[in-house]
Amino acid sequence: MGLGAYLTLAAVLFAIGFFGVVTRRNTIGILLGIELMLNAVNINLVAFARFNADVVGMIFTAFTIPITVAEVALGLAIVILIFRMKRTVIADHLDILRG
Amino acid sequence: MTLEVVTFWGLAVLLIGSALSVVLTKNLFHSVLYLALSLTATAGVFLALDAEFLAAVQLLLYAGGVVTIVVFAIVVTERLVGDRITQTSRHIVAGCVLAGALLLGVLRFLRGAHLPVERPPIAVDVTRAIGQVLLTEFVFPFELLAVLLLVGLLGALYFARPEE
Amino acid sequence: MTHLSTIPMDPALLAFTALLLPACAFVILGIVAPLRRLGRAAAYLSIVFSAAALVAAIGALRLADGGAGYSVWLWSWIPAEAGPLAMVGVLADGDSELMLVLVALVSFLVQVYSLGYLSDEAMPSLGRYYAYQSLFAFSMMGLVLAPSFVQLFICWELVGLCSYLLIGYWYTKPEAARAAVKAFWITKAADVGMLIGIVLLWRQTGTFNFLDLLALADAGAIPLAGLGVITFCIYLGASGKSAQFPFHIWLPDAMEGPTPVSALIHAATMVTAGVYLLTRTIWLFRLTPDVMQIIAWNGAFTALLAAVLACVQSDIKRVLAYSTVSQLGYMMAAIGAGFASAGFLHLLTHGIFKALLFLGAGAVIHAVGTNDIFGMGGLGRRMPKTFIVFAIGALSLAGIPLFAGFFSKEEILGAVLAGGFPVPFSMLLLGAFLTAFYMFRVVFVTFFGAPAASHGTGDHHVHDAPPFMALPLWILAVMCVGVGALFTAWHPREEFEALGWVTYAAVGVALAGIALAYLVYQRRAISADGLARGLAPIRAAALRRFWIDDVFAGIYGWLMLPFSRLVGWIDRYFVDGILNMFSAWTLMAGGGLRRIQSGRVQDYVYGIALGVLALMVGMWWGR
Repeated sequence: MGLGAYLTLAAVLFAIGFFGVVTRRNTIGILLGIELMLNAVNINLVAFARFNADVVGMIFTAFTIPITVAEVALGLAIVILIFRMKRTVIADHLDILRG
Repeated sequence: MTLEVVTFWGLAVLLIGSALSVVLTKNLFHSVLYLALSLTATAGVFLALDAEFLAAVQLLLYAGGVVTIVVFAIVVTERLVGDRITQTSRHIVAGCVLAGALLLGVLRFLRGAHLPVERPPIAVDVTRAIGQVLLTEFVFPFELLAVLLLVGLLGALYFARPEE
Repeated sequence: MTHLSTIPMDPALLAFTALLLPACAFVILGIVAPLRRLGRAAAYLSIVFSAAALVAAIGALRLADGGAGYSVWLWSWIPAEAGPLAMVGVLADGDSELMLVLVALVSFLVQVYSLGYLSDEAMPSLGRYYAYQSLFAFSMMGLVLAPSFVQLFICWELVGLCSYLLIGYWYTKPEAARAAVKAFWITKAADVGMLIGIVLLWRQTGTFNFLDLLALADAGAIPLAGLGVITFCIYLGASGKSAQFPFHIWLPDAMEGPTPVSALIHAATMVTAGVYLLTRTIWLFRLTPDVMQIIAWNGAFTALLAAVLACVQSDIKRVLAYSTVSQLGYMMAAIGAGFASAGFLHLLTHGIFKALLFLGAGAVIHAVGTNDIFGMGGLGRRMPKTFIVFAIGALSLAGIPLFAGFFSKEEILGAVLAGGFPVPFSMLLLGAFLTAFYMFRVVFVTFFGAPAASHGTGDHHVHDAPPFMALPLWILAVMCVGVGALFTAWHPREEFEALGWVTYAAVGVALAGIALAYLVYQRRAISADGLARGLAPIRAAALRRFWIDDVFAGIYGWLMLPFSRLVGWIDRYFVDGILNMFSAWTLMAGGGLRRIQSGRVQDYVYGIALGVLALMVGMWWGR
């Protein structure tokens, strides 16, 4: 299977993740969609690293994975805080910054 | 029909299927479980790409860590369980259209590009290579990553403190 | 020690000094408010500066020695490519130096007189009065010495402003405020014409400066097409200031101001600005004989009209006001006939004796407390000195030999006849008869006969004028007699062939007028009521001022006011409406656009995705 197959796979995964981000009502659901999108990016990076015989792509991935984990942790912490204040995690209700 | 092709297609089906389930399930808890499945499938893809180290990292951090965190968060906040898909998702058609458009855009780029079909042979052990480069060329970002994780830990602790 | 006469002194420089001194007085009084509020101190300052200006003016006149040359002190104010557009400064030739001396002299005498006349004013008001007097002196001198139309116009407007300020000096009196506004409004309406004329002239010739224009005129380089319109427009402005028909209506009402103001502004200086302007630019007007005809006819008509109106007035100042209008008509008629020097000479002599008459009237009013001549009577015995100076003024006005007005009036009559205007000549002759009549009517009613029943009551002591008021009166009276005797004995060079019988006609007509006044008001040989009944329709119309004021009021009320209201309505509903429409659209657009900021994160993600898609599409199309 060539590079194109893996990149296509990643693209489909990215689109599904995007769909999840814009449709889910629950904020945690949105975060799950973001996870899928980041996964797709990682697949892209590793595929390029393998087909170009360059290890730096994998290093890149080795960095993004921990960073993503930290980001998810903090994101969920914020969700919990919002829940404490507003008793809701539905994204549509969180529109304090509307113009 | 080489092993490689079969593996690839199997993993692809699993990955896409579980991803679709993540975004389309009505029960949020089920969503998280499907996410764990898709993260594991991604680890399989890494293995297929001869990146054993990353597959291990993926399983440890993602499938183990992130899923756990999300489960805890769901438990702490109210779960949204709905009967119909419209209760859990909004603007489904628009989302489909836009996601499809993005997908098409990316695919058109891919069609125009010249992508290699054969994998170049690798002589060295990938994990060893990752380790070496990580601690020589990229030691600075590595240390910064440690600082970042510390900051994240502190931040999460601060956020999650009990209310006064 | 060097002799004073060996110091080279430029007449223009002296004239400029004379111009600057009252300006300095005004600036000092304007800025240093405590000094102004002291009243008498401000008055002394202004008088001292005015006296110094008079000395400088006389010095300039003596230096120039009446030659035909001129000297200038200019700097360019509006630079342009082909030479400066407008020069300001001083153009001192024979006419302007004489006029400068007249302005400085009358201004100084009036300021001294005011110290006595306004002695019971509040001190801060007195300071304000003297500040205005200094400003007026500066403006008038600037007008007189102007080397270009630009400076002339600026000083013209300044003079109008000072006239407004001084007529409305007692601004708490509604009649005074209204009179000041009326004067300002009428003269301003006429000035629009003058501005149009000046700009049109510039468009034809490309310059505002008198010297350049004079050179062009002499070389015949001014295009004649449309020049009639230009000169007529300039004449409009002059007739506004100089109270020619129909712009004369402001002058009688302007008598609401203090009498010294009337003596200065409405006898000797401001109203003569129009005549002076025409004299100054006579070389331009000579190129348009049609306009000159209009000037001559209108001048004669104004003279006769005002003389008729003066005959029915009972307010002493109103009589003098109409008399001024009439005499200005005489000057304009002479200019229109083509002999500007005759008009200018009458301007100078009239300035002296009319100022004398006004100041004398002021002394009478100050003593008796009323303006009505029928409330006076028998003052000749109680105020003998005032009677003498007033009589000198009246004789000058009537044109009796040995007094100042005799020669100049005769010159005007001769000039009008020599210019080929027989009908205006007869109008002017009739006017001379009426002039003598109405003036001596005032003299006989006021100074002779029995005192009226009304005065003697109240606390007015009827006495001769106090020293501050008496000194200017005597100076002017002496000048009247001196100038009159000088001209009677020695005629200056004449520009035209004078017919001998004109002199006799003029003097005869004047004596006839005096005689009629004597018979009616002193001897009661002819009944005044009988005369009134005989000339009833004219008298009634004259009392209504021939309805000219009503015409103006009608134009204002029926034309201008509705037009203004219409314009205001258009402004409110159309102009403002369009603007409000635009602002409403802006608000609506803003209200619509703000819905993009929904505050929901997922909507923003939609936006980002759409943006990325747009970029992709853009890149494809670009390829």
